[in-house]
Amino acid sequence: MSAAVWTQSLRKEFTLGWGRGRVLAVEGLDLEIKRGEVFGLLGPNGSGKSTAMKMILGLLRPTAGRAEVCGNLAGTLAARKQIGFLPENPYFPAFLSGLELVRYYGKLCGLGGKALEGRVAELLSLVRLGGEAGRRPLRTYSKGMLQRAGLAGALVSDPEIVMLDEPTAGVDPAGSREIRDLIRELKERGKTVIFSSHLLEQVEDVADRVVILHRGQKLREGRLEDLLTMSGEWQVRARGLGEAQRRELHAWLVQHGAEVLGEGSPRERLEDYFLRNLPERERR
Amino acid sequence: MRESWRRIRAVAENTFLEAVRQKVFAVLLVFALVLLGGANYFAEFSFQEQFKFLKDLGYATISLTGLLVGLLGAAQLIPAEIERRTILTALCRPLRRWEFVVGKYLGLVALLAVMLAIMGAVFWAVLRWKEAQLIGLEGGEAGVVQAIQAESRDPRLWQAFALMGAKLFVVCGLAVFFSTLATSTTFVVAMTLLVYLIGHLQSVAREQWLESGEKAAWFIQLFLAAVALLVPDFNLYSLIDEIVAGNVVPWRATLEVLAYSVAYVAVLLAAAACLFEERDL
Repeated sequence: MSAAVWTQSLRKEFTLGWGRGRVLAVEGLDLEIKRGEVFGLLGPNGSGKSTAMKMILGLLRPTAGRAEVCGNLAGTLAARKQIGFLPENPYFPAFLSGLELVRYYGKLCGLGGKALEGRVAELLSLVRLGGEAGRRPLRTYSKGMLQRAGLAGALVSDPEIVMLDEPTAGVDPAGSREIRDLIRELKERGKTVIFSSHLLEQVEDVADRVVILHRGQKLREGRLEDLLTMSGEWQVRARGLGEAQRRELHAWLVQHGAEVLGEGSPRERLEDYFLRNLPERERR
Repeated sequence: MRESWRRIRAVAENTFLEAVRQKVFAVLLVFALVLLGGANYFAEFSFQEQFKFLKDLGYATISLTGLLVGLLGAAQLIPAEIERRTILTALCRPLRRWEFVVGKYLGLVALLAVMLAIMGAVFWAVLRWKEAQLIGLEGGEAGVVQAIQAESRDPRLWQAFALMGAKLFVVCGLAVFFSTLATSTTFVVAMTLLVYLIGHLQSVAREQWLESGEKAAWFIQLFLAAVALLVPDFNLYSLIDEIVAGNVVPWRATLEVLAYSVAYVAVLLAAAACLFEERDL
């Protein structure tokens, strides 16, 4: 079976016009993203993440190289049928309601009739925009609600691949957690999820593999476990040790030749602390 | 083909819905309707002059409103979608770019057609209103009644209306063409307006080009040829003025202008689709 996304020597240069030269956005990008994988495109702003995504989607034409989606040349109708896309910052026609937006995107994907209406209702309920919320104009939505409406729109054709460009940027911790939960759910349903992010700590929870881009070039690629595990070090978390036992443990480690790099009570992540302290109904 | 049409229809419906939900078009329509209705109150001339005035003002109002709707609608088309980046969420779906361009055009044309139909209906009602007023004033003499009805129920008015619609649809085609090239809404409005104005002088340029022979410098010939071949001849639609002036215009001439309009729009949309196909978004 062909890879979900495959790119070879992908390159994109933008001409600035009026003789102002060119900007290299992506250079020699080779990727192979397997089906069913959660794949993260990481890097700072301007590293080429969005450009790479747009080339895979066919919105930008590569200057050189080739990209394929499920074995089809990127940008072709067959390739685009396989992808649902949520762009960076939710840019949607503000005059539509959430319901109309998802219905419009369904129609663009060739859906219609009762099948479309059923699908729209199911997805709006999945992203918690069913009922009155779905009938409100998008201009009255919060950022998180827009993101959820966009996600419903991306999923309307039940695509094989879901591409999310900076899905958690500008979203509050609860919304961000929700999106990550949704990514996990999509993986459980067998979907391939490709997302970009510059919020690196948020990626750890969900990505199977990542590629790190810098100035349009691939810096690192691999499974998060392999990239992040510090194999030369060992960490133990324990409960119930008194002061005396701690000193004793420290002495034992030193005696056995270990260099103690850190000691103390572990800290919870601020996001987890924040979410734990919210009322139950606010956490979702 | 059926799937393709379904997608084009979805884009067209969305474009129409967007325009309908904007206050600017409703305000324009109300303004036009007030002007059309108000024209009935000018009653200081003979009945022939009153009808002439009504028709002149009516067609000018409908034409100007239609032009403004076309220009403002065009500004909302592709450049505004690129500026707002809403285009990304549409074109990342299995939608061909030419389908998007054609859908946008049809949405704009549908808006214009609805507005023309409303203005046409009001114009018709005003003419009948004037007819009733004048028959009441001039008395029930059969000859006078017939003369008044000949003015108010002149079927050539619909001939003029069809020509006006065709002219505005060509303007929309121009706007769609420029919107596939442009990065700003101002550019689209300015270029469309410019070509619209030049189009009224196109026949002059064509005659000059054909007659100039080797007398004119090569760059002048080139300029005249470019204007003559590329810019639509809006002078063809001066048949509207002939009809309003009470002259007889054969249907054959009208149909020829309508066919020219259809052909010109088809060429514009094909060129727009080709240009848009290559564009990075």
